[in-house]
Amino acid sequence: MDSIKPINIKNGSNSLLGFNSLLFVIYGLFIIFIGLPIIYTFGTVLFENDLSNSFKLLNNATFSLLFKSLILASSVGIISTFFGTILGFLLYKTNLKLRSFYKIVLLIPLFISPYILAVAWKDFFFFLFGNSSLISSYFGVIMVLSLIFIPLAMLIIGSALSNIDSQIEESALMLVSFKKMVFSIILPLIKPALITSFVLIFIFSISEFSVPAFFGVKVFTTEIFTQFSAFYNHSLAIIQSTLLIAICIILLYAERKYIADAPFLSVGSKGTNNKMYDIINYRKLGQLFLIVWLFISIVLPFIILFAQSFKGGMDSFIRAYDLLLPTFVNSIFLAFMAAIISVFIGFIAAYFSIKRSKIYKSFEWFLLLVFAIPSTIYGISLIKFYNQPELSFIYSTSAIIIIGYVGKYTFISAKLISNAIKQIPNSIDEVSQIQGIPIFSRLTKILIPIILPTIFIAFIISFIFSLGELGTTIMLYPPGTEIMPIKVFTIMANAPQALISSMTLIVFSVTLLMISIFYFMLNPFIKKYHSIND
Amino acid sequence: MISLDKIKHSYGDKLVLEDLCLNIDDKQLTCLLGSSGSGKTTILRLISGLETPLSGSIDIDGNTLAKDGENIIQASERNIGFIFQDLGLWPHFSVYKNVAFGLMEQKSSNIEMKVMDMLDYFGIKDQMHKYPHQLSGGQKQLVAIARSLILEPKILLMDEPLSNLDVKLKRKILEYIKNLKQKFDLSIIYVTHDHREAFAIADQIVLMNNGKIEESGSVEQIKSSNNEYVKYFLEY
Repeated sequence: MDSIKPINIKNGSNSLLGFNSLLFVIYGLFIIFIGLPIIYTFGTVLFENDLSNSFKLLNNATFSLLFKSLILASSVGIISTFFGTILGFLLYKTNLKLRSFYKIVLLIPLFISPYILAVAWKDFFFFLFGNSSLISSYFGVIMVLSLIFIPLAMLIIGSALSNIDSQIEESALMLVSFKKMVFSIILPLIKPALITSFVLIFIFSISEFSVPAFFGVKVFTTEIFTQFSAFYNHSLAIIQSTLLIAICIILLYAERKYIADAPFLSVGSKGTNNKMYDIINYRKLGQLFLIVWLFISIVLPFIILFAQSFKGGMDSFIRAYDLLLPTFVNSIFLAFMAAIISVFIGFIAAYFSIKRSKIYKSFEWFLLLVFAIPSTIYGISLIKFYNQPELSFIYSTSAIIIIGYVGKYTFISAKLISNAIKQIPNSIDEVSQIQGIPIFSRLTKILIPIILPTIFIAFIISFIFSLGELGTTIMLYPPGTEIMPIKVFTIMANAPQALISSMTLIVFSVTLLMISIFYFMLNPFIKKYHSIND
Repeated sequence: MISLDKIKHSYGDKLVLEDLCLNIDDKQLTCLLGSSGSGKTTILRLISGLETPLSGSIDIDGNTLAKDGENIIQASERNIGFIFQDLGLWPHFSVYKNVAFGLMEQKSSNIEMKVMDMLDYFGIKDQMHKYPHQLSGGQKQLVAIARSLILEPKILLMDEPLSNLDVKLKRKILEYIKNLKQKFDLSIIYVTHDHREAFAIADQIVLMNNGKIEESGSVEQIKSSNNEYVKYFLEY
């Protein structure tokens, strides 16, 4: 057969070799810039002294605080998963009006900085009771964190509900009542999503720094921050961090099969033939529930911030604007750069983890590990590693903030993109492989255009999260660096309430504006994409 | 001739083929027939180079493509066309670009003329600006076939390409497939689980069961076989 030639190294294997090298370079850089600081920090504290001596630093007070933090995080996990299930059912399994609108708008609390809602609710309680002692407590932290994470639970559980094949439900409905079907068929089927929701929200809550710090509630992350920043007791801070990380890793390990696959982190999943229910008798109740929820989670905080900001006229707002103005460009630039890098690394990690062997999957696991490390601890690791004269070009510049954001949010980009790639039939890539199309063309002309909407959405999510990041940035920001959340947080301690509310309102509005701009820019494009891929 | 000699292949722990020997003649339409899980698709994937056999060798006209657990000639270098069960049309390309893309990447000459001739032959020239989601099932099949043939392969592998079509369309596309051999000077290996399809188009049939060949021969030989499994398979 004359048309068959010996393998052409230059055209075939070499390009793949080039891409493998690219992966190794990126993986290596990620390990050097982000992994090494974590290993270095924990290594020096845990092994420089005797390991048992290090753990002697822990006392009863530490364990008591850890226990309270565990209770707090569990409460937020349970409450969020419960309400997320109700919202998920109403929005993904019923034909209530304006479902598409609610599905998007109710996600807003997830995308704004947690301290914004904390400020709004503190203002509200102050307005109702004349003081904020009730909300400046564990109750307040649980309430605000639940309001923030319920949309995440809704997203996870809603996706799981819409992926149940209608035939499964219909065959059950032939035999049992609707209520029985929900409890004996639907809930067991979505059990992985319920567990995933709880574990993820637990990890987010136990790692959360800004809300308890703002309410003045002592939890494990604020204690670590205090030990590190106020008492300069780095050893104790690191040992405490180790406990927290150990808990997060144990949970992740236990649930690895659910979270590592993270099916909820996908965009445009076609799912199966989703059965929708007409809840005739409860339609008004369901609609009322959605309206009330929208009001409580988004409208009320916004109104409160607005009212507090302008209570004494325009002065506070103008002062807040003047204070925040120098931060806008820098904040947006840093978030933009971090989002681009996160999406690039996320794409490479996702592509190779799907297409290649176990060694490549380890990259994704590493991203998950960094993602699971509480923000303050991650910040401490970076600062301890980069605070060396030779590394001052990173430590004393905004580069360290970008490294912080990239480490924190690349996992989300990688997960979104890998789930998008998984939805593409293998044959699409295999056809191009057989046609001899080089890997670079396969990626740039076939794969990337098909998953472009997901790439954009991964970019937007990384951007918005980076824009509002506080826990890591508060540890890292070099003197003189102007960033929105840092500016608000550093002024919070001593500023009048109206000024804090005004600043928060501005940050809230900027975040909403950015989300709206991206939404209106990309919505037509995404609609076109869906029509092509249907 | 395509020769598979003592091929062993598995997916993870599951052994799919063991010591499989098969010779397929040139310029023939050979049907690999068998029920799900019998190893038909695996044979196509091994011949195409998308899978590497654990052991054994694959040769085409004396050129060794794979041997001792290694693909010596890669998928992209084998000059083979492959039509997948789900077709694998690129959703973001028009019909024209789906067919032309391989040529464009090879920087071939006269791309437009070649593509138009191909679309014309399959009667889908008027659909050239449409996207895959705007085509009927039959039109999609024809685009997939046109795309595979545009690079002038010597062998065309077809993995149950008609499984999603209704009977009438199936008949029409089968007519096209029957004529491809002569028109494009091809060897075709066609995988199906439907013996009626195989009887309608095959020069040779290889009937498989659990990774082994139960019977092979012409349509008449298969029909008159005394093999118990063949009789059982043809009953349904």
